[in-house]
Order: sequence, then C-alpha cells, then structure tokens
Amino acid sequence: MLSIKEIDVFHGDLQALWSVSLDIKDGAITSLIGSNGAGKSTLQMAIAGLLRPARGTIYADQIRLDNQPAHKVVDAGVSMVPEGRRLFPEMSVLDNLEMGAFSRKARERLGETLEWVYDVFHILKERSRQRADTLSGGEQQMLAIGRALMSLPKFLLIDELSLGLAPVIVQRICQILKEINKSKGIGIFVVEQNVRMALALADYGYIIENGRITGQGEGQALLNSAEVKEAYLGIN
Amino acid sequence: MEMGQFITYGVINGAIYALVAIGLGLIMGIMGIFNLAHGSLAMIAAYISLWFFQSWGIDPFLSIPLSMVILFVLGIGIYKGLFSSMKKFSAGQKLRNSMLVSFGLVLVIENLAVLIWTANERRVNTTYSGLAFDFAGLRVPYIGLGTILLAVVVIFGLHAFLKRTFFGRSIWAISQDYQCAKLMGINVDRTMLIAFGIGVGLTAIAGAVISLYTVSPSIGLDWVNKSLILVVLAGVGSIDGILFAGLLLGILESVSAYFVGVHYTGVVSLIIFLLILMFRPQGLFAKKVGR
Amino acid sequence: MRFFQKKMVIPALIVAFLFFLPLFFKGEYYLNMLCTLFLYVILSQSWNILGGYTGQINVGQAAFFGIGALVTRLLWTSGIPFVPALLGGGLSSVILSLLIGIPALRLRGHYFAIGTLSVAWIALITIENIFPGVTFLPGKYVATYSLLPRYYAFLIILLSAVIVISLAVHSRMGLAMESIRDDEEAAQAAGVNIFKYKVIAFAISSFFAGLAGGGFSFFHVSYYWSMPFALMWCFEPILITFIGGVGTIWGPIIGSLCYVALKESFALTMGEINVLIFGAVFIFIILFFPKGIIGIPEKIREHLTKRMGTNVGRDVLGKSQP
Repeated sequence: MLSIKEIDVFHGDLQALWSVSLDIKDGAITSLIGSNGAGKSTLQMAIAGLLRPARGTIYADQIRLDNQPAHKVVDAGVSMVPEGRRLFPEMSVLDNLEMGAFSRKARERLGETLEWVYDVFHILKERSRQRADTLSGGEQQMLAIGRALMSLPKFLLIDELSLGLAPVIVQRICQILKEINKSKGIGIFVVEQNVRMALALADYGYIIENGRITGQGEGQALLNSAEVKEAYLGIN
Repeated sequence: MEMGQFITYGVINGAIYALVAIGLGLIMGIMGIFNLAHGSLAMIAAYISLWFFQSWGIDPFLSIPLSMVILFVLGIGIYKGLFSSMKKFSAGQKLRNSMLVSFGLVLVIENLAVLIWTANERRVNTTYSGLAFDFAGLRVPYIGLGTILLAVVVIFGLHAFLKRTFFGRSIWAISQDYQCAKLMGINVDRTMLIAFGIGVGLTAIAGAVISLYTVSPSIGLDWVNKSLILVVLAGVGSIDGILFAGLLLGILESVSAYFVGVHYTGVVSLIIFLLILMFRPQGLFAKKVGR
Repeated sequence: MRFFQKKMVIPALIVAFLFFLPLFFKGEYYLNMLCTLFLYVILSQSWNILGGYTGQINVGQAAFFGIGALVTRLLWTSGIPFVPALLGGGLSSVILSLLIGIPALRLRGHYFAIGTLSVAWIALITIENIFPGVTFLPGKYVATYSLLPRYYAFLIILLSAVIVISLAVHSRMGLAMESIRDDEEAAQAAGVNIFKYKVIAFAISSFFAGLAGGGFSFFHVSYYWSMPFALMWCFEPILITFIGGVGTIWGPIIGSLCYVALKESFALTMGEINVLIFGAVFIFIILFFPKGIIGIPEKIREHLTKRMGTNVGRDVLGKSQP
C-alpha cells in the first residue's frame, strides 16, 4: 500500500497541501477529484519525488519515499504519467517505451514487457517507428501510459488523464486501465477533474479542496453522494 | 595557390573546428550551460598532448585515450565545483551565470598556463609533420587527412552513442524533458555530471590535433569563439550538424582568404555567422524551432 | 519632473563634493583612480539600461566603447576640440548600434548574447588589422596634458549618464522596458511596442558607452589602437552590474566601487598572478552570490528563517496559517 500521512507541500512560500493523508491500496483503483488548482498535481508530484514535502511521510509498503529523489521512487515501484501527455518528442514511440524501462530491473525484462504493452495498446505497435510528436492526442496518452508501465510498477499514478481528449478515447483508456488493474494487480491512482469518469472508474475516492482532503469513500457511494452531486456535477 | 587547394585546406580547418566544437555542442545543447572556458580546456588538452610527446615520445593521435581520461576527470571537477549549483536556475539565469563563471575560469586557466608553460608558441613535430601526399593534384598533408578522418569518426560515433545506447539516450532524453527523464528512473544529476565530463573529454581529441599546429596560452578564446559559431550555426541540439557547419565554415573562410587575404578570414566567418543568426537563428540543421 | 526630493540630498552632496575635490586635493594617484572609477560607472550604467532594465544581455559592449574611443581620438588628434570630438564618438556608437541593433534585437536569449559578442569580436579583429600599433598624442597635447580636464570630463559624462538613465527608467519608457525584461510576451500582449523600446535602450546604452570610450581616449596619452576593443570591456560591465545589483541605479555605482578597489588592491599586492587570483575571486562571487551584493540581505534573511524553523505557510489567498 502507498500511504501518504499528513504531508505539507510548499511551492516556494505558498502552501499547496495541508496535512494531506491518503491511502492507495495494492491492486485497487483510487481516484482523487477536485477542481483546478486544488492541489491534485502537487500531490502526485510529491509522491513521484519531484517535490519534497516539508512535513509528513510517504511510504510504499516499507519503503520510505518522501526523502528520495524521483529516480529512486521509480525503483521502488511507483511510476507517474505526468499531466499533458509529456513525452520525449524527438524520440520514436519505441524509443520512448524503451526509456520507460530504464532501470536495471526493467531493462532485463524489456522484451516481454514491450510485447505486453504492445498487446494492450495495439496502435503503439503500428506506430513504433514514428516520432512521438506526430501522434494524435489519444495515441500520445496511450504512449505515456505504456511508457510508465514499462518500468513494471506496483503503483501507477496518472495526472489528468482526460484533459484535452475526446470522451470516446477516454472511455477506451479507462477500460484498458481496468483490465491492467485486474490482470496485473497494479494499483492505479488517478487524479482528475472529470468527476464522473474518475469516480466510475474508482474502487475508492478522495475529494480535495484548497489543498485539504475534504471527503472520501467508495467510488460509487461518492458518486451518488449529495455534496459531490451538487459541488461537482451541478445536480441539485 | 589555386582554389582547389584553398578548399582542401578549408576542409581540414573545418574538421578541426568541428572537433573542438563538438564537446561544447553537447554541453550547451543538453545543459544550457554557456561555457566560455571550453576553448581554454582544449588548450590544456593540447598542452597535455605536447607533454606526452615530449616526455615519452607518444604520438598525439595515440595519446588521445589518455588525455581524454584526464580531461574527463577535469570536466567532472569543473561541473561539480562550478556549474552543478545552477541546476535549478531559469534558462536566462543559467546563461548569464555560467557565462560569467566560465569567464572567470578563462582568466584563471590562461594565467596558470602562462605561469606553467610560458607564453611562447609551441608545437609537436612528428616524423610526418609537414609531409603530405598528392591527391588529384592537390596537396593533402597527412595531419590534415588524419584530422578529417578523426572528425568524421568522432561525430558519427557520438551520434550513435546518443541515439543507440541506453546511457546516450538518457542524455538525449534529459535534453528534451528534464522532469520526464527523472520519471523514467534516470538519475539526472549524475547523468548531467557525466555528460559534462564527456563534453570536456572530447576536447582532448581536438587538443591532440591542435598540438600538431600551434599551442600557446592565448588560443583559448579564439577556439571557443569558433566553437560557439559552429554550435549556433548547426543549431543548438544538433550533433551531426556540427560537422557540416564546420566544413562549411572552413571552406567559406578559405575561399574568402583567396579574395580578401588571410588576416580578415576571421571577420568574414563572423559576418556570415551574424547573417545566419539574423535570418535563421535556429541554425541550419536544428530540429527544434525557435529555441 | 520630481526634482528636489529628499532622497536626492545625499547624492547631490556627493556630487558637489566630487566637483570641488580637485580644488583642494591634488593627489594625482587618487584622482586617476577616480577617473577610472567614473569610467567604469559610466560603462556599467550604459550596459545596465539594456541589460538590467530591458533584460537584453549584451556581451558586445566593447564594440561601442571602442568605436567611441576610436572616433573621438581620430577627431580630437586631428585638431577638432574635445567636446565635439567626444560627441562625435558617442554619435558613431549610436549609429553602429542602430545598424546592428535593428537586425540583432530580433534575437532572443543566448542568441542575442552570442551575436553581440561576435560583433565585438569582429570589431576587435578589424581594428587590429586596420590600426595595428599604438596611438600617440601629438607633442603639443602631451605638453599641455593636465589631469583636471579629464577628471571633470568624466564627472560630467557620469552625471549626464546617471541623470538621463534615471529619467528614462522612472518614466513610462522605463516601465515598458522593465515589462519587457520580466515577461516579453505578456508585455507584447499588453500592447507594448517591444522592438521600439529595445532599440531605444540599445541606443542610449551605446551612446554612453561611446562617451565612456571618448573619455578613455582623452585620458590616455598612448595606447594600442585595439585596446578599447579588448573583450575584457564586454565582461567587466556585466560583472560590475551583477555585483552591485542588476536593474538599479546604484548597482553599477556600488559594483564599480567594489570592482575598482578589488582590482587595484590585487594589482598592487600580487604582481604577476593578480589576474589569476582575480579570476578566482570572480568565480567565487558569482557562485556564492548568484544575485549579486543586492541579494545579500535576502540571503541572510533566508538563512535565519531556516535556522529558526519558522515555516509559516500561506495559502493561495495569502492568509497565514500556522
């Protein structure tokens, strides 16, 4: 389990996260919903090791993460798909995927992992020699996820999956994520503005507002709760 | 001397320029560090080749692996001491600070060189210095030929390293997206350190060649100037472009020497450079536009 | 115009002091030092208006300094009185900057820096070839050489530089320039004519650099023609402004004071290796004070708050929370 306990994270002088606690269970899909600027990306960056919390701890099972640089977090089995489908634009699809398997462990199993990723995302196999910046938005998102999977993570963090993508494609990807979660037992942590999608996908969900966790519950229950309906779905 | 000969010499000069510039291209392209001391480092490399030759009779081409190691270590020291603290700076700050710091380094290195080796010009004289062979009526010095071959090998070798090996690709990845590279499990800090070391180590090759022509403590600034011109001409981030840019510059200079005389070739190449900067600032071969 | 403010009292007193100084103090060594100091202040102020206020890092100031020196020297030694010769020097620098500036200012970031450095280099090589050797003052000028006119020339150029630059910086033009430095795209979106202001800043910068060069040629009896084009003149104003504080009027003044004092004390005490040590100190300053001397109070404050462990957070609305 990935447990985040009471972390405070600052951007310079500005505090973005206030005593945030969260649990991401093995093999489950957990979602974090909140509006723009609520602190979702900041939380993911803190888990991934790109930001260091000023207070609190983050543990992946017995391994402490909050005091590690990002590359060590990857070694501990936590892989993040950053917001905005950031890829290595000059590199081909294949190169991007291989970069995902940079760690020693992953490199040893590169061949079979690559086959599996191609199996999950057929389109990537077709486009394997193409430059990453020539792919469509949906393909790029798949590449970003595929690349993160190449490191054989225990936990996959995805930041703003749906941003800028057509709903049909988002649906496809969600389906794929559900499959991966079931077949490989990878814990998935999705951070999203699209509340409906995030809570439908999730086993468990959290709500974040202004850097604080203000609610949590089973995905379905949260989706049906009055406050979520009002605040995020516009239903009265 | 007829035009063909001028062009031949131009090609040779261009190859030397490319050899010096390649290390700077790597450093500036990947790390955004403006190292004015690059030429001075090539100068040190030349003195090292000189030393190997005078103390043990080792031919400069052969002592390259040894001097590469020495310069690699020096490069790592310089990065750790001077540039690693600039990791988190914005591009503008990094540019300005690295330029200033490296200028201080130039002062230190050049004056140290004068103290250690005196300001006299020196040169390695091998058995084949000054000898040449005849190629279709053109006189091609052996050293020149060696230089051209070396330039081609080094540049294509570096290209293959950056695009085919895992470590090389991690350097390439860092130059495209620093944060993403971290998320791949790449130890970015250590990789940058090594990349800088490689960039400096590459000057050892240039230094060996330079030692066969002329070495003195003051050549540093001239070399870094030429290197900068090549890096920008080729396009920041383009490695193969540096060879072509070098050849182009070398030939243009030689051809202009034919018309305006030797003294002004520097001016001509600078003017051409300025023109390109104004009309195609991304360089001739860049893949990134408007960098 | 906001003259006669309280904060102008001290500078006015200092200026008055400097004006009257040579009348009762004749120490040549110190007057010479002051001339050098004034020269560096002028040169750094000139760099600062383009680099510090408008954010365009120009690494080629030596070209403008050099042209000013060259033209002034040529005009003056051929019989034209000093003041018109000086203005001629300044003017030629401006012309050069317009010639180069208009194409070069379209470059951004490192390209502008590299481009201007190349210009300085071209100028240096060209002068070395057209005017190798030394320029000597004609006999009768040497005979009538006196330090006082030089001192006052520098002082007056300095005052005009500081006044003009202060006025520019405190006007709407200055605001525009700073907006370009801070965020060029936002400034453009707000309707600021970026190109126009960059050109103006460049022109003012080169004018005063040219005047400084003119002063140089007036001051020195003999020197290599190429000396004012030496690349050192490109880097010194950048370092000085950096030490003293980029984007402020006092910055170049403080920086020059420190720089000249440092350089002189090294030259006096260390002989041959003074440039080497100087280079090392240079490096040290930039590494430990990446924001210059102006950044020191901030650094101290940071250090203290870290020590005391006060990590007071402020949320997005700016309200402090424990």
